[in-house]
Formats: sequence, C-alpha cells, structure tokens
Amino acid sequence: MTFKALLLAALVAAPATAQTIRPDQAAFRELYKELVETNTTLSSGSCTAAAAKMGARLKAAGFSDADISYYATSEKPKEGGLVAVLHGNDHNAKPMLLLAHLDVVEAKREDWTRDPFTLVEEGGYFYARGTADDKAQAAIWTDALIRFKQSGYKPARSIKLALTCGEETTFAFNGAQWLAQNRPDLISAEFALNEGGGGMLDATGRPVLLAMQVGEKDVQNYWLEVTNPGGHSSRPVPENAIYRLSAAVSKVGAHEFPVTFTPTTRAFFGGMSTILGGQTGAAMTALLANPNDAAANAIVSKDAAFHSMLRTTCVATLLDAGHANNALPQRARANINCRIIPGETKASVQAELARVINDPKVSITPEATMRPVATEPTLDPKIVGPAKALAAKYFPGVPMLPVMSTGATDAIFLTGIPTYGVPGVFGDMDGNGAHGLNERIRVKSVYEGRDYLYDLVKIYAGGK
Amino acid sequence: MLKSVGAALVAAMLALPVAAQTLRPDQAQFRALYKELVETNTTHSTGNCTLAAQRMAGHLKTAGFADADLNVFVPPGFPLDGGLIATLHGSDSKAAAIILLAHLDVVEAKREDWTRDPFVLIEENGNFYGRGTIDDKSQAAIFTDSMARLKAKKPPLRTIKLVLTCGEESGARINNIRWLIDNHRDWLNAAFALNEGGGGTLNAQGKPQTLGFQAGEKVSQNFRIEATNPGGHSSMPRPDNAIYDLSRGLIGLADHDFPVQFNDTTRGYFGAMAGIVGGDTGKAMTELLANPQDAAADALVSKNAAWHSMLRTTCVATLTEGGHAINALPQRATANVNCRMFPGDPVPNVQAQLVKAMGNTGVTVTAVPPVNPTPPPPPLTPLVFGTAKQVAAKHFPGIPVLPMMLTGATDGRFLTGAGVPTYGVPGSFLAADSGMHGLNEYVPAATLYAQRDYLFDLIQAYAATKDTQ
Repeated sequence: MTFKALLLAALVAAPATAQTIRPDQAAFRELYKELVETNTTLSSGSCTAAAAKMGARLKAAGFSDADISYYATSEKPKEGGLVAVLHGNDHNAKPMLLLAHLDVVEAKREDWTRDPFTLVEEGGYFYARGTADDKAQAAIWTDALIRFKQSGYKPARSIKLALTCGEETTFAFNGAQWLAQNRPDLISAEFALNEGGGGMLDATGRPVLLAMQVGEKDVQNYWLEVTNPGGHSSRPVPENAIYRLSAAVSKVGAHEFPVTFTPTTRAFFGGMSTILGGQTGAAMTALLANPNDAAANAIVSKDAAFHSMLRTTCVATLLDAGHANNALPQRARANINCRIIPGETKASVQAELARVINDPKVSITPEATMRPVATEPTLDPKIVGPAKALAAKYFPGVPMLPVMSTGATDAIFLTGIPTYGVPGVFGDMDGNGAHGLNERIRVKSVYEGRDYLYDLVKIYAGGK
Repeated sequence: MLKSVGAALVAAMLALPVAAQTLRPDQAQFRALYKELVETNTTHSTGNCTLAAQRMAGHLKTAGFADADLNVFVPPGFPLDGGLIATLHGSDSKAAAIILLAHLDVVEAKREDWTRDPFVLIEENGNFYGRGTIDDKSQAAIFTDSMARLKAKKPPLRTIKLVLTCGEESGARINNIRWLIDNHRDWLNAAFALNEGGGGTLNAQGKPQTLGFQAGEKVSQNFRIEATNPGGHSSMPRPDNAIYDLSRGLIGLADHDFPVQFNDTTRGYFGAMAGIVGGDTGKAMTELLANPQDAAADALVSKNAAWHSMLRTTCVATLTEGGHAINALPQRATANVNCRMFPGDPVPNVQAQLVKAMGNTGVTVTAVPPVNPTPPPPPLTPLVFGTAKQVAAKHFPGIPVLPMMLTGATDGRFLTGAGVPTYGVPGSFLAADSGMHGLNEYVPAATLYAQRDYLFDLIQAYAATKDTQ
C-alpha cells in the first residue's frame, strides 16, 4: 500500500449509510468484516486462520477442494495462505493472477481509538487494522471469485487468486516469495494484479486521479562503520568513531541524488502537471524538459512523495555506537536505507555514497538481500487500455496515471510476471492510517472500487 | 581506580629485581597477607568482599587488635559486600584522626582470558601477577600491614583508622563509602584521608621521573542528547531526520573545546612539569599558566591527551542509538555524552556549553541522574603535601613530587565531599602495560616493596604530628 500514502489531503466525508447497500454488497461486507476481524499480525495473529476462512467461503460458493491449495511451512504454521483457481475454458489463454496479502501491521488496542480488530463503520468510514492495507483488496478479490463461481461465469483465461502472508515484514516468512520459489506452477500467469494503485481524492473529496502502479524502486541497505581503538572517556582524543560517523551520516543527509525519469514517472509527472496546474504543474513540465532545472526541482521536491519518485533516495534509519557510557566508542554503525530508481544499480549507488562520504575510514557494506532486482514492467496497452476504458464509465473525467512505487511490494518476487497495482479504490491522501493508528477507508470507495475491479477482471479474463 | 594515573608518560618499568629469597622478615609477612588478599576473589560477580574484610581483620587480631577495634561492617541486604574499619588509638585524644582508605573489590577477570589464574598470586620475572595486584589490593595490603606493624610500636599521636571498602569499581551492588557516609558518618571522622589515586611516572628509559600526589579529581557526569522526529516510511524521506539532527549536534560537540582552567593542584603540577619537560612544551605550560586564554600554548600542551584533560572540563560522546527499524525513518536518536567536570565547574555551566556546542539542531540536553556535585579539590596544605615531599626525598631522592588532579574518579570524591579531604598518596610506579582493569594485571615486586616502605614512613610522619595544616 504505497500510492495511497503519496500526497497529503483532507477528505470530504460523503457518508454512505449501511442500510442503503445492495444485497451483494451486504454479502461482501460480511466477508470483509470476517477478514478484518481475523488478527493477522506477525506477533499474535494467524494468516493461516484467515486463509482457512476465505477458503471455506470459496468452497461454499462451489470451488472444489482440488481448486483450493492451502500452503504453510511447518516452521511457520501461522504464516500460511492459499491459492485458488477459477479455470478458464480457452487453453491457449494464459492465466492471470490476483494477488493480495493477508497480514497486517501490528496494532495496539491501547493506542487506538477503537478496537483495531473490530470492523467499525462510522461517519462513512470503515475503521480497523487492514481496512485499507490490504484486506480491502483481499476481500474484493475473494468476493469476485465467489461471485464469478455463483454466476456461472466461464472466463477464457484461468483466474488465480493468491492470498499471502509476510508482505509487511522484512525478515519474516514471505508467502509470495515462497510460492514463487516452491510452487511456481500454482501462481504462473501472464500478468498479475496487486495492491499499490488506487486513486486519489482532492481536498473537497472529488476524485482527482486514478493510479496504475507499474514498477517499483529497488531497496538496498548499506552499513556505514567506523572503528577506533577506544579508551577511557576521562581522556578523550580527537579521533572518535562517533564523530567520524556523524560527519559521514551528515554528508549523506545533505546529498541529493540527481533527478532521473523512467517511462512510468515521465508519464506520471506529465499527467500530474496538468492535474495540479499552477506553479507546481509548471515546475513539473520544466523538470521533464530539463531534469537539471534546480528551481523547478526545488518546487516539485517540496512534496516528499514527488521528491522520492524523482530520484534515488538514501536515508539513515539506524544508529548504534559505543559499548559503555564511560568508554570511548570502539565501533560506530549507521544503516543507510536506499531506494534505487530503475536504471541505477546497487553498485553505482554504493560508489556514489563512497564519493559523497569521501572518507576511507568509513567502511560501506551492503546488507545481504534475498530480494531480486526490481525491473519495471512495460506500460502494456493490453493492461492499461481496458483499465482506462472501464474507468471512463465508472469515474468519468478522472485521468489515470502510471505510478512507480517508491516502496517495495511483493511484486518483486513474481519474477517474470509483470505485476500491476490496479486502480479503483480511492484513498484519503493522508495515507488512511495505513501502518499507523486508526486505519480507515471510505466506505463508498470500497464499494465503488469493488464494482470497478469486478468488471475489470472479467474484461482481462475474457469469456462469458 | 582510573587507569590514567601513571600513564601520563609512556613508560617501561623500573627494573630493580628483588629475588623472593632475599626478603626481610617483615616483607615476607607482608607478602603472605598480600597473597591472601589477592587470592580472595572480590569481583562483583562471584567474589566476596566480606570474606576479604574478615581475613584482614584476622591478621590485625593476630597483631594484637582488640575485637572492639575491628569493625567488620556489612550493609543490610548485601552479605557479600562488607568491609572493615580498624582503629589504632592515638595517644592524644584531641588530635584528629587520619584515615587509610582502600577498596577491596576488583574488576572482573576471566580465567580463560588470562595467561595465569587471576586469583592466584604468581611471582614471575620479578613481577606479581593477579587481579588486584595493583588496583587496589596493593594499597589495601600495605595499609593493613602498616596497621599491624604500628600496633607493635608505641602508639602514635593521632588515631589511625583503616577503612577497607567494597563497591568502588563500576558495576557494584553498593558502594560502601557512600553507605558509610549516609549511615555512619561518625565512623569516618578524621582530619584527612589517604587513598589510591596518586602514583608516579617513569621516563622513556623506565627510570622514575615524577611522583604524583593526588589532590582533587574531576567529576563524571553523563548527559543524554536526544533528537526526535515524526518519522515515517524510509521510502519517502523527509528533509528533517532525527539521526541527522543528532549527528550535526555531535559534530558541533567534536569541534568544541572547553576553556582552560587551573586550580592549586594543576597549577602546581604544570608549574613543576614545565621544568621537567622543558623545550617548547615546557615553555607553553609556563605561558598557559600566565594566560589560560593563550590558544597557541593550549594547542601545544593539549596535544597530550592527559594534559588536555587536566586543563579543562571534557565531554565526549560515548554511546549512540537511533531508529527502530531498518526501513523506517528514525523517530528518535540519542547519544550519551560523558563529561568529566573540572572541580568547581558546576553542572548547569557545562550543560549550557553543551547546548551551545550542539548549535541549532533541535536536540535536547539532559543531565542523567545522579547529578553529581563538583566540589573544589582538597587543599595542598604544608602538612599533607610538605610531609609527603619530605618523606619522598628520603625514599626516592631526586624525584620531584607533583600535585596531581585525577581525570578519572575514585572514592575520594565522596569522602572529600563529605568533609574529609582525601588525597591519593604517591609511591607506586606502574608500567604502561600494567593490565589494571584489563588482562594480566601485574606489579613489579621491587616497586611494591619500595611503595610499602615509603607509605609506612609517611603514615608515621602524619600520625606523629598534630598540626592540622
């Protein structure tokens, strides 16, 4: 869930009352509620339990046991998931994959206004952990498969659904990765639809744009380290590991990587310049014409999201030095978390860090990573075209822009499967409390997005 | 005890090998007491100070002390952390007592890390090896042995109190001196106290160069430096960052030097050291004494880290910690800054300078409790300092006695603060690789015996006079 966190804006509440919903929406709401109320945090929850509940609903809708594959490892029994398939009748058409993650970020009851694991509908919003990230998507996909099955829909391509665990955690078991490595047959597809897109509302609550997420930045951590013989703190000497590291970290903090456009970000800023207009829009146009335009860069980069989309970023996230309060530090370390724009490499970024720090006594070591290198899928007209055409019906006049995720998604593990973050569900631009407190999503946005995505999947899958 | 005592100048060792078989009878007796003390494990983890105190009391009882004059005290709730106060009554009940203070506890020592068993006194190549052979069982043994020998003599004028304590080294459960001050201040009534913290330096050839008479020590105070930030996801950095704010503050601190200050102790030290060192550095010391603002002279003298620390309050970053996840913008970054405050330099003054040095970075500076007072150093009176010099002239002819301020800390700061001026007596010359607080701690046997002879005479000289100045 990245795009929804991109821009700041207040949302005008357009309350939809629960009693006006259609019967199919009521059924969806039940499924969504059950999913949200199943705690799937790493600390105390169970993705396996959530997968079982969704699987039971699929089975009740008519899916056979053979078409529902549960998976989990014996080491991580609570971090399982499922893959379901609705078979297509055109054997020449490759399957498509619907991907969503079941796990959610930790949430403490005492920090929240409401119980984070009870779905509360209030003032036109659904409140609870995962209402936005990513259980709306998981519920919409599962509900779509149920309705497809119940309506007797026969797609041309097979539609696969993968509900996974471990998206929110860096070092825990990652279901998408496990499936790609151990059960590639289950998820093989021509393309995948995932979180990361969405839509954005302006300050008055009107939809401003729809986002199709295409590609993401690479993540690489680098450890800076300084060592020193140390000594007793009663007798300081000029050479000090903490001070030397501080100087290096400060240089990293003051450094800006150059503006670099990719096909996706070029299209994004082109469209965004029109939407925003004014000084910022003009600055985007100027920057597209000349990425070295410092004045334009300064204006556009005032927004932290735009700033990150324009360039590789590196930021200090962890600091650790010394071993006793009365001893001179023998070791000082800082982690630099870099988000690398497609086209640059982990090696080139490391070289740039070394150049900027310019101190041979500061070692730079890349953290070992299991993640494959991020590649940017093409803006495939077969994907973008139908999404735009359908959006014209549901959201007339709202432009659709390609967006590069500045964060990492599970798409990175689906090597060889171009993965798109679908548009449709509009979010509040304060990020909807995703990863934070009092996560929420506008009720109307969920129902609208659900309708849009149901039709979109059918268009992609073909058949009738 | 702090390492910096004898290491102000690089040194090898004074080689005056004494073979064990040539010991005088009184030295052999001392050696047995010293051995027993070193071999009594008094680490905080597995040792027992109370046992060591009982054993020292046993020696004194054998020497003729009455039970009433042997006070093995044990702070309630700390059965392993006891100590001893032994009293040798003086002939003049109106003369104020003197205290001989030494600590029984030692820094941890792991057998697997040491070449020899740290809790067996091993004499090898003219050296005594073992944990505490220097710090501080050399002085504890010398003082206890002195008490035993004095008992056999005519009573001195002044009463002499031997105070052996537990909990001086860091990591202790309880510090006896502080406990005694809080609970039994009357047991500590005295004109002044002799303690560890003095010493001597050797020149590059390993010859004794100076003796150090310690009067005053800097006071340790930790400050917490903290920067906070709303944080966020690391994929979208914001211009402000807690780690950057802290780093810029620490860079400001690295560039900050506290102003040069002198007191009677350091004035005496640098005045004498100017003549000993000579040359440009000696000249710079003289200039700095005349004008503490002389930046060029300061730069020259402060090239030496020990002198740099003796000239001023110092503050240095020792610990940092920041951030909570590898992929999140840090919400908090903190540093511990360890200050050694010049005696008399108050905490608020040091804190204000830290704030200024950190610049406009938004970091906060908080003194970490306990906030310590910074008492002025005890006075270098003719009685305490003059007598030490006179006795030294006999035992170490030609070697000057310099007043010395410690940049580290001993229990003397507590006792001085409680109204008993406490001095670190000279007499020990340590090798640069003495292993104090570290591995394979050792002291050359000849040095130890020479120190013992000097201190025995010094104690008698102090105890024989009723002058208070």
